[in-house]
Amino acid sequence: MTNPLSKLNSILENLLFVWLGLSFILLIGEKAISLPPILQVIGRGHPLLLHFPITLILIGVIFLLFPSLRNNETFRDIGAKSLLWGSNLAGITVIAGLILAREDYEGDSLLWHQWAGMVTFWGASFIYFFQKRNLKQIAIPAVALGICLTLTGHWGANITHGENYLLAPLNPPAEQVPLAEAEVFDHVIQPILQAKCESCHREGKTKGELRMDNLSELKKGGKSGPFVVSGDLTQSLLTQRINLPLEEEEHMPPKNKAQLTEEEFQILTTWVESGANFEGKLVDLPQESELFQLASLRFSSEDSYDFEPASGSTIEDLNTYFRKVSPIYPESPALEVSYFGISAFEPSSLKDLQKIKEQLVNLRLDKMPLSEVNLDFLNDFPNLRELSLNFTELTAGQLESFPLLDQLEGLSLSGNSLTPDAINRIAEMENLQNLFLWNTGLNDSQKQQLSEQLPNTKIDFGFEGKDIILPLNSPKITQDRVLFSDSLRIELSHPIQSTTIRFTLDGTEPDSISSPVYSEPIYVKTSGKIRAKAFAPEWIGSEEITSVFMKSGLKPQNVELLTQPSPNYKAQLAETLFDQIKGKNNHTSGEWLGYSDKAFEAEFSLEENQHPTNIGISLLYHEGAYIFPPVKVEIMGWRNGKAETLISDQPTQSEKIREIRSELLTYKLPDGNFEKIRVKLYPIQSLPKWHPGAGAKGWVFIDEILLN
Amino acid sequence: MEKELLEHGLNLNRRKFLSRLSLGLGSAALGSLLIPDLFRGQSKEEDAIMVALPHFAPKAKRVIYLFQNGAPSQLESFDYKPLLQKSYGQDLPESIRMGQRLTGMTADQERFPLVGSYYDFQQYGESRAWISSIFPYTAKVVDDLCIIKSMHTEAINHDPALTFFQTGAQVGNRPSMGSWLSYGLGSENSNLPAFCVLLSRGKGNGQGVYSKLWSNGFLDATHQGVQFSNSEDPVLYLRDPHSMSRSERRKMLDQIASMNELNFQEFNDPAITAKVQQYEMAYRMQTAVPEITDVSKEPDSIVKLYGPDCLVPGTYAANCLLARKLSESGVRFVQLYHQGWDQHGNLPNEMAQQAKDVDQASAALITDLKQRGLLDETLVIWGGEFGRTNYCQGKIQVDNYGRDHHPRAFSIWMAGGGVKPGIVYGKTDEFGYNIIENPVHVHDFQATVLHLLGIDHERLTFKHLGRRYRLTDVSGHVVKDILV
Repeated sequence: MTNPLSKLNSILENLLFVWLGLSFILLIGEKAISLPPILQVIGRGHPLLLHFPITLILIGVIFLLFPSLRNNETFRDIGAKSLLWGSNLAGITVIAGLILAREDYEGDSLLWHQWAGMVTFWGASFIYFFQKRNLKQIAIPAVALGICLTLTGHWGANITHGENYLLAPLNPPAEQVPLAEAEVFDHVIQPILQAKCESCHREGKTKGELRMDNLSELKKGGKSGPFVVSGDLTQSLLTQRINLPLEEEEHMPPKNKAQLTEEEFQILTTWVESGANFEGKLVDLPQESELFQLASLRFSSEDSYDFEPASGSTIEDLNTYFRKVSPIYPESPALEVSYFGISAFEPSSLKDLQKIKEQLVNLRLDKMPLSEVNLDFLNDFPNLRELSLNFTELTAGQLESFPLLDQLEGLSLSGNSLTPDAINRIAEMENLQNLFLWNTGLNDSQKQQLSEQLPNTKIDFGFEGKDIILPLNSPKITQDRVLFSDSLRIELSHPIQSTTIRFTLDGTEPDSISSPVYSEPIYVKTSGKIRAKAFAPEWIGSEEITSVFMKSGLKPQNVELLTQPSPNYKAQLAETLFDQIKGKNNHTSGEWLGYSDKAFEAEFSLEENQHPTNIGISLLYHEGAYIFPPVKVEIMGWRNGKAETLISDQPTQSEKIREIRSELLTYKLPDGNFEKIRVKLYPIQSLPKWHPGAGAKGWVFIDEILLN
Repeated sequence: MEKELLEHGLNLNRRKFLSRLSLGLGSAALGSLLIPDLFRGQSKEEDAIMVALPHFAPKAKRVIYLFQNGAPSQLESFDYKPLLQKSYGQDLPESIRMGQRLTGMTADQERFPLVGSYYDFQQYGESRAWISSIFPYTAKVVDDLCIIKSMHTEAINHDPALTFFQTGAQVGNRPSMGSWLSYGLGSENSNLPAFCVLLSRGKGNGQGVYSKLWSNGFLDATHQGVQFSNSEDPVLYLRDPHSMSRSERRKMLDQIASMNELNFQEFNDPAITAKVQQYEMAYRMQTAVPEITDVSKEPDSIVKLYGPDCLVPGTYAANCLLARKLSESGVRFVQLYHQGWDQHGNLPNEMAQQAKDVDQASAALITDLKQRGLLDETLVIWGGEFGRTNYCQGKIQVDNYGRDHHPRAFSIWMAGGGVKPGIVYGKTDEFGYNIIENPVHVHDFQATVLHLLGIDHERLTFKHLGRRYRLTDVSGHVVKDILV
């Protein structure tokens, strides 16, 4: 009875020789043999198959090599079996590999890979058959086998991923080329091809007989045609293939490989469209061309600097609360320096910058008082490109002998007065690209002259606003309170110092000619309203601002509300009207009586000695919250028990939404001894058309009645 | 108490022991292979930041973000749709709306009558961009602007949309954009916070803003936005108490610092150092802030440029002027909010007022930065949290209508700081409802802003609660087409 397992072993042992023979035939026959397509499929299985022998052979070698494992029967058996299976699979893998190699592969790596693979296969078989010899004899061959296996893998990976794949992460990334030096092909197109195409189209793996790792080979094209045809998207294989739908077999890069990004796709397409030039700089392309616009984004427009960076500790030492010194971007040698804090400025601290005189590229001293500083220190910085000296109190002398900095690209002198000599001095700096001269006191002809003298410089003279006439904003009225007993101090002010404030107290609109000019605080002694406007030359007069003030008055008897206010706005009911407390400008403050559905109607009795001549009704207006002036004010008086209408008035209605405000309606009362007075206010029943709530009911809010 | 102290000591020893163990030779060798910067002596945070900074000089160094809170209508500002005027009162076709969700305010509306802009549009500048008549000053600087008409967002209500714009998430526990920049780039001027916030309010229907919008989230507290108030003290509690001299203040701070130092030695809590830094920063701000908020030295032409309101604290114009002063003093991120853009009704009237509040000063800021040579390095952004519907909310009238929230398409503009000037990017359909060309999601916008400042949005991360967070969450593409 033969053990089925040992039978399998012997079959496998015999198969080893079959693989050996087949591999020899393939190796020697090379391209002389033509193979059926079915074998090509096996060939393409190579990248999959190869993993099995690697693992199995390594397990075999380890189990047979280490004495502790080797001396254990079971482990030894596993080792032997692994080695046998591994050798068989190595044989199959070698054969598959040899078939695959007949496709578009060539080059040194392939050769090395092939032979190392063969040696691995033979070596594994050899060790399998001599495994029972003592350890000393097979130790060296076994270790050699392990090394050979590793090398085979390495060369194989070189074929698939490219020669430098393994060690690439250790090499520093290529220096970024500045935009000014970038070549269209070398620095824009080539990197895309390198990243997305070259792993299959290069020495050693020339799929479609196209190589992209070599310019002359690339220009030759591949087996299906030319790589690019200048300006022709359909004839150029490059654009033709990348344009195919992803499912198409011919689509490039192949479906399972990394695809082109939208940006890369656009760049390649516009490159072919624009003529597919292999020579020429990016900056020589027209700025508006699509290729330039796309490709230039890949580069920083920064110049490269050829000076050494300053040491980290130098930079650290120079940084204070009032001076920021930092690289223009991490790891750049170029430094920018900004000063802050006007009161903390020490002119001597500028000397510290000597330590970074090579590296200083941008210097900002805006608002620092520099009038005492000798500006010649700026000559010490050979690489200074941007200098900002806005509002630095520079004197005529300093500006007229301003250091001529040839390398300077941007200069800001806004807020310093330039004399004619200073202008001439600035005009000598012909290399300036940007010049900022706002608020420097130049007249139109000086501006024009300077523009002509510096034709290549963009000069910004800024905003002057000389001919622009704008409306002023209203002045501000400050008064401690609205209700007062003896007199009230009122102050007027305006944020712009040069304005004139005119006001009236008689209810008329203030004008710019006859109304009194405000010069000192006003004291008022009677109820009324102040109206004020601001005026200034070269400005349109402001809108008026008003404020009321009320002298507190008599306190009548038996105040009674004849109609009840809305439950939400009932304040202290009748008490409210004569409590001598002026409500805040907020209808929900609890100091206001609100009426909407019904008219407000209140009645109060006067004592014999009370003879008011004036009545004031203090109201709140806020159109946005539907609070309007009453449509009608009715005041009735009782004399000797007989009622008469004293006042019937329709106050001016609102015409637009305005800010919340307090208003005082005042009326003169006829002479006479009245026992009782009744006030009735009618809320607006239908809001006007211009209002968002047009047609809805409006409100009347009242907080006080003043009798004087 | 003794027990706690003992436990603390034990903890300290155990921690030391474990950290020594983990720093064994083998793990260190392995670590140095895996993390190349392990022995460079930088903190982990700095490492994370360095990785996010690319190797070229960023275009923008600072940002001024003019947030128009409440969502200004794109249809009355930058997205001109004559079809809406022609189809006044007709219903929005369902084929255009495509099931877009509605807010609770219009969900019950039976009809969606289209309504066109109340204001006229005209083309301006070399870019021939269309701008409505209520933005005359903006129209004058149009060749400095990059108008994006294809913004879209995910939120449909103010607070989530605002939070999304500012922090990259609709729920409010993440750091704000300015905090991320403060974290990534640090401060330019160490006497001022890197992130300042200024608020103003227009007369239009408004929505509140909350301090969570300028929160540092899980980042260090030093990255929080500092709000400048419009009162007499622009920064609250910055003044010394009455009769306290500077030297006394200095002495006090030194004492507190030495006590904090003791605490730090014992507990090693970085929050203690952060606190000491904050105190010191506040001390330096005591001189820096008055210098900056002083407008008395501004030339007369500045008042004409920004409008006379720029001298009235708390107005949008004053905030724009202050924003410029902070920015030129090295503040990385100045965030303005102008409230009152929520025109559900009364749009023709309110929107004109709102525009009047902001138009002149926004344009002035561009001109002002330009004339100082700062626009190239300062990114200015103007826009709201979403757009408004092309149909009317409520009763439709020729001179009075409203618009509801619309997240699918809206317009913003950017200027300076490496953004292409004088272009209009993106397109909406003729109804102004859907984007048909070059959509820009909020995350794309955020990625682009970070890119302009030289930050890779995918790499500026912070590990919190076991995962890495970033401003753009898990998406966002830099809009390369609008870069210079």
